[in-house]
Amino acid sequence: MTSVTTNLQDGPAPVNALEVRGLVKHYPGVKALDGVDLVVRQNEVLGLAGENGAGKSTLLKALVGLVRPDAGEIWVRGEKVKLRSVVDAADHGIGMVFQEQSLVPNLTAAENIVLGSEGAGVRRGIYRWDTMRKLAQEQLDKIGSHIDPLARTDSLSFADRQMVEIAKVLRIEERTSNPPVIILDEPTSVLESAEIETLFTQVRRLREFASVVFVSHRLDEVLDVCDRVSVLRGGQSVGEVPTAGAEPADLHRMMIGSTGSDDHYHEGLAEHSDEPARPRLVVKSMSGSTFRDVDLEVRAGEIVGIVGVHGSGREDVCRALFGAEPTLSGEVTLDGEKLDLSGTRGAVASGVGYVPAERKIEGMVGPMSVADNMMLTKQKARCTGPMVVPKKQATLVDQWIERLSIRTPHRGTQIGRLSGGNQQKVVLARWLVAGDIRLLLLDHPTRGLDIGARSEVYRLMRELANSGVATVLLADSLEEAIGMSDRIIVMNDGRATKEVSCPSGGKPTPLDLVKEMV
Amino acid sequence: MSTPVITEPASNPAAEPAVVTGAPTAAQRVTSFMPVIALVALLAALTIADPDFLTQRSLTAAVRTSAPLVVLAAGATLVVLCGGIDLSIAALCSLSTVFFAMWLPDLGGLTILVAVAAAGAIGAVQGIAHVVLRIPSFVVTLGGMSIFSAVALVISDAGPIRVIDRDATGWLNLYVAGYLPMSFFVALLVVAVISLIIKLTPLESFVRATGYSESAARLAGTPVDAVKVAAFTVSGACAGLAAVMLASRNFSGSPTMADNLLLPAVAAIVVGGTAITGGHGSLWRSLAGALVVTLLRVGLPIVGVPSAWEQILYGAIIVAAVALTLDRSKVLIIK
Repeated sequence: MTSVTTNLQDGPAPVNALEVRGLVKHYPGVKALDGVDLVVRQNEVLGLAGENGAGKSTLLKALVGLVRPDAGEIWVRGEKVKLRSVVDAADHGIGMVFQEQSLVPNLTAAENIVLGSEGAGVRRGIYRWDTMRKLAQEQLDKIGSHIDPLARTDSLSFADRQMVEIAKVLRIEERTSNPPVIILDEPTSVLESAEIETLFTQVRRLREFASVVFVSHRLDEVLDVCDRVSVLRGGQSVGEVPTAGAEPADLHRMMIGSTGSDDHYHEGLAEHSDEPARPRLVVKSMSGSTFRDVDLEVRAGEIVGIVGVHGSGREDVCRALFGAEPTLSGEVTLDGEKLDLSGTRGAVASGVGYVPAERKIEGMVGPMSVADNMMLTKQKARCTGPMVVPKKQATLVDQWIERLSIRTPHRGTQIGRLSGGNQQKVVLARWLVAGDIRLLLLDHPTRGLDIGARSEVYRLMRELANSGVATVLLADSLEEAIGMSDRIIVMNDGRATKEVSCPSGGKPTPLDLVKEMV
Repeated sequence: MSTPVITEPASNPAAEPAVVTGAPTAAQRVTSFMPVIALVALLAALTIADPDFLTQRSLTAAVRTSAPLVVLAAGATLVVLCGGIDLSIAALCSLSTVFFAMWLPDLGGLTILVAVAAAGAIGAVQGIAHVVLRIPSFVVTLGGMSIFSAVALVISDAGPIRVIDRDATGWLNLYVAGYLPMSFFVALLVVAVISLIIKLTPLESFVRATGYSESAARLAGTPVDAVKVAAFTVSGACAGLAAVMLASRNFSGSPTMADNLLLPAVAAIVVGGTAITGGHGSLWRSLAGALVVTLLRVGLPIVGVPSAWEQILYGAIIVAAVALTLDRSKVLIIK
């Protein structure tokens, strides 16, 4: 089989392994895909880049039949198809290695590889272990892996498990005579650099007999391993670039859009005083069920990011500081006073605010009004004695709706009817209305928001920091953590293992942090 | 804190509509008036079946009968609004009639207050067991139901206890302005006072937030546990008050007196349109629901349905009312 196809001027060429035309998908309040076009040629590695919320995941899910688009077409090798399930997609030769691994941990590698496509591995309902091992070995040989097919999956390293996933996905070749299209969703996010190299070798090998769609947050990787990159923004395709000669900065500019300034994270707004501010939050060897001996210090006006892979315990540290997760030992002080973390009430009374990652479930009460959601915590601000004073509430809420440019028809509108960005601003305002906020814990504050809304949240964070609020940030991406933080704490297996200074002008690269994270 | 106004317009306003459309649909509006519509329809139907029904005498009798049910349903509505359920109300009410009849000779007029307080305290214990031991409310109150019934049987020697001193509760059998039975007036007062307290204080957002999304309420720092215990306390106290009404009408206390009121009370809540999943609803709705249930009860014999069918009807209307009011498209898991 030849390597990269050589046709340069491809018309409506049926040679395209996969083609997406004008794909549209609505979710309540969000247009996840707004007319996306995508072309995957035979035997090429196509990179897919885009910020969180750009529509990457929805597009990938549509390609493997997990999401049904509202409009648009998907063509496989010149044939229009409707993909209703993963099996449908597999029948057309499309398979995906999922971001969250989909292997069953207590089965062997061989069992996992043939799971769901046992073929000759099962006869009359009974496992033929020899045949199965042979089938699995064939798959592993295809990708040149030396993993023992009889090893239990949970005894394998993360990188090996990923190889097993790829071997498993390649089973779709049995279903179709055509070369398959393999989608790799964030395959490198938890790999060490040596493992990443192995994976890249693997991807290049895959190109010999398949087409690959490669999705990654790390633009340098995308440029390294892909032939072309397609960029998504706000649910639309904004362009395709050949990787030869392209720079990560070019891609980044396309991802955040020409209307966005270069100062995406509003670093220009950050104020720097020469004298270090007093420490506001001091955490001394705090331990909980998923974290141990965490030390942390956040000064007034400082934004401290905590980064770590899934399972690093950073979310639990954040919740523990709010009293929403039990702490077993350790001492936490706020402005020198001991913080009561036996429940959320103590933290709230001390001026600690928390914005949860799951906005729709934990952040807001959907059927309640903007005003009720905004005033939920600081009830005293709208009351005289025990009574709610509607006038007081109206003035205060309207004032904050204007201050944060919250787009809502009225303060009495149900918060569930607002867009994500405006919902998040109401949730943030909840902690600001009383003017007593000292420490803000932000758990993925920009998750699911579009670029414009994110920019507004960043700006608000800067302004709060400038007014002296201490902030702990669990960012949605490493870029965001680096862009917003003054300092970054790296967490690893429940411990704070490294502190990286992150001043404006002297920012580390994502790769610097990744080295510390794994 | 001085946060400057953010003036910069969003860079991509078209991608995110400010508001998702969703004015209440016609169906939702009908649902919200359902209890009143049902009440009027039922009155009309009964009047057609028996023109004598729409007289002052029979209407007075009907609302008088409904008073204990209104009080019982009103208290339990609070628990439902918080996202729980109180299945012990009827058993607690029966137990309270026994308390009342037993204590009346010693305590006299004070007995009313003491019985209500005792029932409230028992409700509080259930609430505390629910939030501290983290046991689902339906399990706690199902256990409570069984325990209260048994205690009532034990302390009453499994028989009714006559109320000799009728002065203490005689006022409950009077009429306000000549027509309105005092017991129903008290029931209205209970609904009005509790509703008003909730409406005018932060309690409304606490209760609704707890019912709609307990985790969001907790993470917003609202006193979720205290609100729930309070709801169970009020529910218990209401069961005690309903017991006083029943005992004053029957001139006795009995360990099974109110046991057949559990289903009607739950029916009153759901027919009123309070969401069984919590958050949405009100005590006024349960008042309307209780009147609907009472009319059905007194109306069935009029149209010639044997009273043995009553329970079938309650079962059917509970299921039907929940089917009508629950927006199942938004509830992922039905337990």
